[in-house]
Amino acid sequence: MARENGRWPRRIRVAALGVGFLSLGAIAWCESAIAHDARQHIVPKDRVELTFGRSVDYDYDPPEPGSYVLPTLGNAADGRMRAPDGRTRNLYEVMDDRICVLAFIYTRCTDPDGCPLSMGLLDTLDFVGKSDPIVGDALRLITISFDPEYDTPEVIGAFAADYREEASEGGDWVFLTAGSQAELKPVLKAYDQPIGRKSDAEDSLGPFVHQLRVYLIDRRHRIRNIYSLGFLDPRLVITDVRTLLLEEQKAR
Amino acid sequence: MTQRVFQVLRNALVLASFAFIIAIGGGTSIRVASADETCMSPYMAKITGQEEYLYVWTLGVDGVGDGSDKLVTIDVRPESPTYGKVINAVSVGGRHEAHHAGLTDDRRFLWASGLDTSTIFIFDVHSDPAQPKLVKTINDFVKVSGGVVGPHTNYALPGRMMLTGLSNDKDHGGLTALVEYTNQGNYVATHWMPHAQDTMGARVEQVADGYGYDVRVLPRKNVMLTSSFTGWSNYMMDFGKMLQDPEAMKRFGQTMVLWDYHTRKPKTVFNVPGAPLEIRFAWGAQNNYAFTSTALTSKLWLIYEDVNGEWQAKAVADIGDPAKIPLPVDISISADDSTLFVDSFMDGTVRVFDISDPHSPKQIHEQVIGKQLNMVSQSWDGERVYFTSSLLANWDKKGEDNEQFLKAYDWDGNTLTHRFTVDFTEEALGRPHIMRFGAKSLYGS
Repeated sequence: MARENGRWPRRIRVAALGVGFLSLGAIAWCESAIAHDARQHIVPKDRVELTFGRSVDYDYDPPEPGSYVLPTLGNAADGRMRAPDGRTRNLYEVMDDRICVLAFIYTRCTDPDGCPLSMGLLDTLDFVGKSDPIVGDALRLITISFDPEYDTPEVIGAFAADYREEASEGGDWVFLTAGSQAELKPVLKAYDQPIGRKSDAEDSLGPFVHQLRVYLIDRRHRIRNIYSLGFLDPRLVITDVRTLLLEEQKAR
Repeated sequence: MTQRVFQVLRNALVLASFAFIIAIGGGTSIRVASADETCMSPYMAKITGQEEYLYVWTLGVDGVGDGSDKLVTIDVRPESPTYGKVINAVSVGGRHEAHHAGLTDDRRFLWASGLDTSTIFIFDVHSDPAQPKLVKTINDFVKVSGGVVGPHTNYALPGRMMLTGLSNDKDHGGLTALVEYTNQGNYVATHWMPHAQDTMGARVEQVADGYGYDVRVLPRKNVMLTSSFTGWSNYMMDFGKMLQDPEAMKRFGQTMVLWDYHTRKPKTVFNVPGAPLEIRFAWGAQNNYAFTSTALTSKLWLIYEDVNGEWQAKAVADIGDPAKIPLPVDISISADDSTLFVDSFMDGTVRVFDISDPHSPKQIHEQVIGKQLNMVSQSWDGERVYFTSSLLANWDKKGEDNEQFLKAYDWDGNTLTHRFTVDFTEEALGRPHIMRFGAKSLYGS
């Protein structure tokens, strides 16, 4: 086919324009499909947390991930802690490049509205992480004891073993304690985690007064949500994790 | 189809398009573009036994004491030699229209706000519960919130505080917002109320007025509920003058908003005419309802989840004789959801309703507490009830009717028995408004 005055014939140019527009449409469709597929990747239809269903305590359907904003509530502080093997570990090192759910507990707590409740939450999150690779690859669970006199590295290691079969280090659920009150105090202060000793040290529920708080921390070490009594719904926490993952995807 | 397949297909199409365009050359140019104790927050530890201290957020009165707003502490330990006495008062300097105050979720700090200057005062109540200390003052609430005026309810959420506004800095009317802070006093977010110009996707029964007043959360249903009062131009106006101003009387809230708590998105704007004020959710594990009272129409309203899981609002009882405008101002629900105390300002009367059937409250007691009456707080066990007198500086009664008191009573389910009175004028303190409880046992050592 010959060019006329250096230009292709009109019918060829019109056909080219048509093909061009069709290609654009197809590209846009692919972009949309990629975004949709990436979202499906993070928010699959059969989200494992939804299989838990409603309960008396959490009688609602959780919102759609990404349909809301999780504002930054402050910075998650670093701090020097002790691993079950006695080694010193910095919190930022433990957090690594993960979205973290962090809870302060003490192993002597038997208050059903206290530490066992937050341990139950993390245990469920651990299950979700193992069931969903997208969540599992992103999420790290951190449990920190605020009772270093009793919860020595050995004690926290044995406590961890009750929850996980694997060793605490290197897994997705890290158990830590403090080396001393001096090391612990700045960490509790930084996370605004109030702890007090009960006047009755032999209280059957445990010797400490404390505010149950569980923190959601993004990969930039920012606190994005705080959960407490009445708000420890694993479906909501995982929905928040997926919301952070969608936020990351959008920012790329 | 996997994401990878789409990416490969997309890339192939892009390459093919460019190749085709280049192949045909000139003539066509295509750019690819890509585009109370029983009224406290459920998140808070409760004093289930004997409260030890009452914190009373008190309006300053010119010529009374130092004339400034102050946090007054009253000893309510029955065995204490100072039982029923003022044991501490922290002046904040100036008059800010002290009104409501609320504790953080850990009960270590009390946030107390001023409706006129929009200043928020944060008191440490845990270091020494008998002697609260002012530790922080937030002076830029209007600026950081984007123009919200009149911080009212200070409501504890996990690690943060939700404040309701009453007004705005553009016209000082009733359009307003919810404002979130961290417990440390750092601004987090502003959530404007749905209004006529932007209903924010909410279902609107009749009108979305954008007004605000109180906020409460029912976590296990993931719902948040707000009510509506009036703006700065009304609540700072002389009461008598306002009643004579037909335009001003039109500027009162007539809505309650049901929100998705987790997403902070409004779902339904209920039509609740007559300025619905305090909100009290029931405590029972299956009791999915809340009460409010309407100030101008003198009715009790029930906001409830019906058998289909839909939330509804309906008037369920009159408070006194609405024609006499008793002006109900505060309510307090018992921990077992069996009774509701309702204070009305104009007749200085408390009425107690049996709400065991929330759809049909029945009045079981009525008693005049004083010449004017405002807030009511009861202990978790329901055995002790406290009352204060002041509504707003410019709305309180004048002359001899302007009694300013805190009164303590015992309640046995049938009778209120007077225990003590603190005369806030005689004590040179001012106008007492909201009360919050304190106890050393909350904090350990």
